[in-house]
Amino acid sequence: MFKGAFSIWGRDMLVLRRSIISELVSVIAYPLTLYLAFGFGLKGYITDVNGVPYPLFIAPGLISMTAVNAAFDESSWSMWFHRKVQRTIEEYRVTPVTVYDIVIGKIFSGFSQGAVKGTVVFLVILLLTPFRIEYAHLPMYLLCIALSSMTFSCLGTICGTVIDKPENIGRVQSVVIVPLIFMAGIFFPLSSYPPSILPLIQLLPTTAVFEGARDALLTGAIPSQYLVNLVLSAALCFTIAVYTFNRKMAE
Amino acid sequence: MTHAITLHDITKSYDGFTAVDEFSLEVQRGTVFGLLGPNGAGKTTLIKILTTLMRPTLGDAFVEGHSVLTAGKEVRRMIGVVPQENNLDRYLTARENLALHAKLHGMRPAAYNPRIDELLDMTGLAARQYDFPDTFSGGMQRRLVVARALVHEPRVLFLDEPTTGLDPQSRRSLWDHIRGLRRSMTVFLTTHYMDEADALCDRIMIMDHGKTLADGTAGELKDAFSRAHTYQVEFRRDADRYQGVLAGLPFVKGVERDGSLFQITLADEESIKPLMDHLTGPDIRRICLKEPTLEDVFISLTGEKVRE
Repeated sequence: MFKGAFSIWGRDMLVLRRSIISELVSVIAYPLTLYLAFGFGLKGYITDVNGVPYPLFIAPGLISMTAVNAAFDESSWSMWFHRKVQRTIEEYRVTPVTVYDIVIGKIFSGFSQGAVKGTVVFLVILLLTPFRIEYAHLPMYLLCIALSSMTFSCLGTICGTVIDKPENIGRVQSVVIVPLIFMAGIFFPLSSYPPSILPLIQLLPTTAVFEGARDALLTGAIPSQYLVNLVLSAALCFTIAVYTFNRKMAE
Repeated sequence: MTHAITLHDITKSYDGFTAVDEFSLEVQRGTVFGLLGPNGAGKTTLIKILTTLMRPTLGDAFVEGHSVLTAGKEVRRMIGVVPQENNLDRYLTARENLALHAKLHGMRPAAYNPRIDELLDMTGLAARQYDFPDTFSGGMQRRLVVARALVHEPRVLFLDEPTTGLDPQSRRSLWDHIRGLRRSMTVFLTTHYMDEADALCDRIMIMDHGKTLADGTAGELKDAFSRAHTYQVEFRRDADRYQGVLAGLPFVKGVERDGSLFQITLADEESIKPLMDHLTGPDIRRICLKEPTLEDVFISLTGEKVRE
């Protein structure tokens, strides 16, 4: 079962291996720049947030942001490219694999890209900066990253499945994904929001991603409301992604 | 069971347009079957239904006895597909493209590696197996797509306009490969090229507007639609005068002129004698019966108007 999904995932990992250096350079540059610019640039103005040094406050979010962005990018562009440009999805569909194999293979490719790139950014920040963590907290943090990458990989798969024009994928990223990320408190505490808005912000899956990641890394536990949010978001997005792809292929 | 492919009253409609209309067909196992038709005739829709990429609105189709509606996975185990456009993975080498296809068919390396070696040799791509398809010529890419479709040794091979866009040498080379497959598997081919159908197919079906127009061997189709009463006449002189004469003869159904060469379609074969009575022997350079080509048959059935 899911042998086809494994083969498709294997293909994507082979392609990733081939271009790993250039991929990682481009992936590391952005969060590292943000970390250096905000972490060091604002350190003189914001010494700590709720008792947490500012560079430490933003680091978990930047690592998570790298992972979810990579998961979304890989899933959306890869699905679109294989469906519309290279038409390899059609090649997969005339073999005995099912549409579930294809979509699950692609979702796991996005997830894997997110996990690999997030891990590398984590290691680079660890290597180049004074950022340190309690290693006992790592499993919960990795769980948070895994669930987040899964959610964003599914969202990317949905976009790559239903969107035909590439510029519209870019628009979804800039109008939906980036605001969701930046509203979720990577760079500032959620307490900065007016109390009337705060409950809505706390319901965002991205808030669960970044707040959950920060809490996991700093305390070793993901608050239950965020954990439930992460699990439900991942499950719901996975279901919608599989359903959407199945429907699209049946057209 | 001697039929590799069976279609029962297949209809496919979308948005009020009927692409295939109650289409039935049986293709004998081990033969090369050619489906001809102008753009929009319904050929690709039929291939998509037979390869389970599309579900018919009505009817059912069977490949090696498996229904495309209820046993899609079994159908896909039996088939190899060469689509109209090369859908090779440009990020994988030629060999990796074949290996991925084999894995998707559940083959193990011990089974697919020797088979891939054999196919790369057969298609003349062995020396380029570690190169990416983007660096290949159109003919080489096409050969690689054919090789990919054969990795799992399918029982039915679908070729959707396999030589479109290829130069004459590449076309001939691909024809040789297809000829080599005859008898070992059933080949279902669509094409725009009449010479291709003539050269490769054991049986040809011409379709248009989703329906069958003619069916038979190339020879049978030419005979059935033979323009036995069409003659080519070339005049030495007075071509203009003869054009007027021919236009006035009641048994002349059509005259096409190219300089001093006329193509004259008569009402029936008996009209040749009265025609000769109106022509003066020394004015005629040559007169001959026009042998029909498959293209004549195709045009006479589907019309000369260009399709969008």
